[in-house]
Order: sequence, then structure tokens, then C-alpha cells
Amino acid sequence: MSQRVYITGLGMISAIGNNVPEAFQSLSNSKTGIGKINHLTTRYKDEFLAGEIKLSNKDLADLVKDNNPDLNRNSYIAMLAAKEAVIHSGIDTKDGMRTGVISSTTVAGMGKTELYYKELFEKDDHLGVLDTHDCGDSTERIADYIGNVDYVTTISTACSSAANAVMLGCRMIKHGLLDRAVVGGVDALSKFTFNGFNTLMILDREWCKPFDENRKGLNLGEAAGFLVIEGEHALNKRGGKALAEVVGYANANDAYHQTASSPEGFGATLAIQQALQMSGLTPSQIDYINMHGTGTPNNDQSEGMATKAIFGDQVPKFSSTKAFTGHTLAAAASIEAIISVLSLQNNMIFPNLNFTTPIAELNLIPETKLLLTPVNTILSNSFGFGGNCSSLIFKKA
Amino acid sequence: MGCISPQNTIDANWFFETIAEPNVDHFNAIEPSYKEYIAPNLLRRMGRAIKMGVATANLAINQAEIKNVDAIITGTGLGCFEDSERFLLALLDNNEQFLTPTSFIQSTHNTVGSQIALIMKCHDYNFTYVHRGFSFESTVQDALMLFAEGKKTIMVGGIEEHTPNFVLLNRRAKKFKNYNATVPFWESTTPGIQMSEGGAFFVLHHAKTEKSIACIDGMQTLYKPKTSEEILKKLHAFLQSHNLKLSDIDVTMMGFSSDVNFDKLLVEMLPSIEKESIVASYKHVSGEYHTASAFAMWTAAKLVEKQQLPEVLAVSTKRPSQIKRVLVINQYLGINFSFTLLSQC
Repeated sequence: MSQRVYITGLGMISAIGNNVPEAFQSLSNSKTGIGKINHLTTRYKDEFLAGEIKLSNKDLADLVKDNNPDLNRNSYIAMLAAKEAVIHSGIDTKDGMRTGVISSTTVAGMGKTELYYKELFEKDDHLGVLDTHDCGDSTERIADYIGNVDYVTTISTACSSAANAVMLGCRMIKHGLLDRAVVGGVDALSKFTFNGFNTLMILDREWCKPFDENRKGLNLGEAAGFLVIEGEHALNKRGGKALAEVVGYANANDAYHQTASSPEGFGATLAIQQALQMSGLTPSQIDYINMHGTGTPNNDQSEGMATKAIFGDQVPKFSSTKAFTGHTLAAAASIEAIISVLSLQNNMIFPNLNFTTPIAELNLIPETKLLLTPVNTILSNSFGFGGNCSSLIFKKA
Repeated sequence: MGCISPQNTIDANWFFETIAEPNVDHFNAIEPSYKEYIAPNLLRRMGRAIKMGVATANLAINQAEIKNVDAIITGTGLGCFEDSERFLLALLDNNEQFLTPTSFIQSTHNTVGSQIALIMKCHDYNFTYVHRGFSFESTVQDALMLFAEGKKTIMVGGIEEHTPNFVLLNRRAKKFKNYNATVPFWESTTPGIQMSEGGAFFVLHHAKTEKSIACIDGMQTLYKPKTSEEILKKLHAFLQSHNLKLSDIDVTMMGFSSDVNFDKLLVEMLPSIEKESIVASYKHVSGEYHTASAFAMWTAAKLVEKQQLPEVLAVSTKRPSQIKRVLVINQYLGINFSFTLLSQC
């Protein structure tokens, strides 16, 4: 049970780049990926901004080298990011060790279903979307793309999904059920999610401003982010190199409202507390917090309260990186886990863009410029609809 | 435990005496009057998947006579499909205008699990698994890990709903076939299934209590096994890890779906299983859905409780003299396979 779990490979595709090195460039140059909508078909494309991946479906198909008509944007980006993580880690899935793929998504195949749904009732051409609409589809595509995968499952806990995928992967390794896992999340933009968030009136028409007094909401983004995690036994056996260690994780429920977070951040406080407890670290030993920080009035208030409840007046350096990528929903926690590993590796804290005025009652001030400073421990938060709250803690390997 | 399915499982006394046949090519769940289980102010807004989930969770909690759980783990392949479809149609029909958020909010896959948490005021562990024929299996695997991590009482469930449009489209895609009572599922020579729906929740406790119905000894999933030999090899290893042989299993419930392609590997395995154990089938009464394995677990627990194999489920001609151990071998689309092992407490 006590086996340690290490991160050994990273892969991501998002608005700030098609792979991890490109994302690192954007992050260290404070260059956001959020802009005008180009690929998503929506009547609001000139009214809102989004963090789109800068590639068309055709470009993605060429990168994946698969013209299977059943593939959709969600699967393309999931396959690319997962493959990047596997190559980065240097694992060989044919070496006889047990490999799992634990993915997460909220939108699944909806981006394609919504294009053809009406015509499915009359024409046969796109009935294949019935097989690729569900959440499990992209996970099995990843598994088959990587090859020799022993275990697959998919999680959907709204915007905390990928944190739970990381957590489940760690637990399965510690329980001896797997030797290693490719864990993360994926959500491509769709009209469905875009309109959903628009009806909730939590989209900012300008760049989102996490933790700013005048924040108006979030910018949606799309991304796939995957990490290879390995148990220390498997890692030592193959002589691989650890990038970081997962030392804490916790999942709690706010049980306050289906979509809103409790004002005092009850569930968030529980998740952070329990993750800290598991890591054996005291609050003062956390060097940096990568916040959920969506930029909605409700989240940032609630998360800020939880942060104060745990850290009191000694709040560590923190930022939300969602102003770079947009809120990538199920992928957000894995994208931010990857950004956290980049922080640990490079001793860098990436800035909270677009911030000017602290929230009056919290007076929490994020890092607004790239900061070069020793970073050894990071807390990363992710919260979602349904009260799902998850926190992860990473440590320099 | 609580179970809503195409059969009268909602009635605690029902034990396969009366069997409902499908509606030609698909099954519809027999739903109770939800007012008995859910407060009217909540009920009004809930989609069917949420109602099935909350009602069966309620039944399970009442039967177990508990008030709190340490974890709520939900499995669903398609989630709240009715609400997803409602929001999708509204946005397509109105060109992305005049939309209201209710159906979008409820379309989120974790709505069932979070509604139960809200009603129970449960701030603890809450997970939703959404992986095809592993959705329910993942909940049980997770619960078994949580017990090893020190949790005491856990609720797991599987829920699936279909809509008239969903049935219509799958029919157009030739995924269904008309139910034919004269051809046993394991002797089918044609493709096609009878799509179904249902919900089942279980309260699991880390140790035996006087309320215990059955014990879950183990659960394992197999992704895309290539041959029946491979499955059998993994099955023997699975049983061996519990110090058991196939001959120790009193009833083996196999997930024949009546689709000749999906069932191929199970049909090939049937003779070797039947040599050692008594075989039963369940999808001819439950129909096929992502979380049909939750119906199977409910059935397996009932077999152990009642010490009887209902005639309607029997595949083998032999009948068990006792039912100490039941093994479920489920398959979904010939891709997702699982073993669930239950025993008498």
C-alpha cells in the first residue's frame, strides 16, 4: 500500500500549444491562448472569446495519422496528448507490466453529435456518431492508439474530472492493481457546452480575470492533458526518470447546490485539508497553489474563502492559469497538473493574467508576473458542478 | 439494495415469478410512483435517470437501515441522456437562442451521484464512472479499494435511461432485433440486441452485519480480450486469487445479449464453464445496457439470499443443491468483459 507514485511523462494540447514544449513557451512568455473563435460553429463566435486549439479537425486527423471517420475532435486531441505523454515517459507498454488508461471527459462526442443529430432521423450517413457519443469512446481510442493496455475506465465529475483520474491512477498503483497508468482528461469545445455555460450566465465576453474584484466569468477552452504515472517499483525496474511525485490527493463533496459552490468553500476546504494530511505537509510547506480560479464570481469567492480557512494569513504564492488556457472542464485538472510539474522542474510560477484589483473581502493577491523562485511543493485545486471538489499535491522528485 | 429494471424488481418480494417481455425490440424499465421515494419539490425537475438513481439509493439505504455513507460511487454509460437530448434539441431548434439552463445542468454525467449527496448531505468521497460496460464495474472496484483504505459504508450504483429518439435512432442503425422467445440467447445466430435501461444501488459495508445479503469477494475487468481461451485463463487466475476453482462456483451467470457477434466468446466458453458449474443467463430478462451488470449483481445477491435459481434464468439442465458462490461473467458489445464474485455471508 505504501508504494510511492511518480509522474514520468507529460502530454498536452491546448490553446497555448500543440504539445508540452509549446505550452511552456507560452506560459513563460505570459502569452495567452484565448482569442477569437475560429473553429467552433456558433452564432456567438464574434461575441465571445475562447481558448481554442489552433488546429482544424483535418489538421488533427493528419497529426494522428488516422482517417477513421468515426473519430471526433475529442478523440483526436486525447490520442495526441496521451501519446506525447507515453513517448515522453519512455515506457514500453509491451514490456509485460500492467498499464491502465484512466481518462475523463464531460462533453465526449457531443461536438460531433450536435452537427448531425437532426439528419440522423432521415439519413444513414452519420449514424456512426451513435457509437462515439459516449464518454468511454475517447478512452478506448487512447488505449488502442497506445496499445497493450490492460485496464481502462473513464470518470466524469464535471470540472474536477481529471484530478479524480490522477487520484484513481495513484490508488490503483498503490493497491497493486496496476504498475502504471496514463491519466488525465479531455474536452473539446462544442456548441452544447458553450451554450450551456452561456445560459448559466457565467461566461466573460472579455478575457477572464481570476481573483479580480471585477471578474465577470470564465472563458471556455478545449484541451487534452495526460500524465504517465508509475509506481516506484515499476519505475526502478525499468530505470526510468521521475519528473515529480504525487504526494497527496483528496476528493470531497460540497453538497450545497447542483452548480454553485458554498460561499464559505466547505467542500474545497475539506479536499485541501485531506490532501495536505495525506502528504504529511503542513500548510506552510506549500510553495505554490495552482488555483481552480475560473474567474466566475462564485468560484473565486468560494475558493478564496477555503484558501483562507486553511492558510490563514500565510497564503502561499498562488495563481490561476485559466487565463492562459481557458477553462478546459474535464481536462482542466490534468492541464494544471502538467503546468505544476513544469513549475517544479523550472522553479517558475506562471502568472495569473488580467488581474488588477483584489476581491475586497478576501484581499488575496495572485502572482501577476512570471516569477523565478524555488518551487518544491504545489497544491492544485479543481472543483466542479455537483459539488465535486478535488485537490492534488505534487512534490519535486 | 434497490433495483429498477424492466422486471418488477422494485417489489422487494418479487423473485422472477412473473416476467415482462420486451416491447418488440427494446425493454422499458418498470418505474414506481416516485412520490414514495423523492420529495415532490425535487421530483418535479428530475430526469428519469436521476429519479431511478435517487429512488433505488433510497431503497438501499432503507433496507440497510443506515443514515450516512462514507462514499457515493455512481456508474452510468450515457448519463442523463434525456436532459442532454432536451438541451441539444432546444439549441438546434432555436438556433442557440432562448435556452434555459435546467436541462444543461442536469445533463452533466455526475448529476445522479451529486443529487444523492445533496439529499443525504454527504460531504465525503463522490465519484462518477462513465465507461461503457465498465461503468458499474468501476464503482465496485473503487469501493473495494476504499474499504482497504479504511472506509466503512459505501453506496455504489449503476443507472441508464433511454429516450424514444434514442431507441428510434439505434433501430435505424440496425442495432436492435425483435425479441424471439423461442431462441435462447446463447443459441442466437443473428446480430442485434434488445436495448434496455434501469437503475440499481447497493449499500456495501466493510464487514458482515445482520442486514448483509451477500458478500462481494472480487471484481475484475477485461478490456478487448481476443479469444475465449484468454478469458478462461484470466478467469482461472481470478478464481485462484480467491483460492477457488470453477467447480467451487454454484451458479455462473453469463451475459449473453443475443447478438451472435458480441456473444461469440461467451458462447465458446459455455461448454467449459458448464462442465464445472451451473450456468444461468440474465439479459433475456434485463435487456442490454451499459450498467446491466448492476442488474446482474442484484440478481446474484438474490440467488444467494433465496438459495434458489429461478427456472427462467437457467441455462444448464442441472440445478444447484446450494448457492454459496455466484460468479457473473458480463460482456458489453464483445469489448468490455468483467467477472464479479459473490458469496453467502
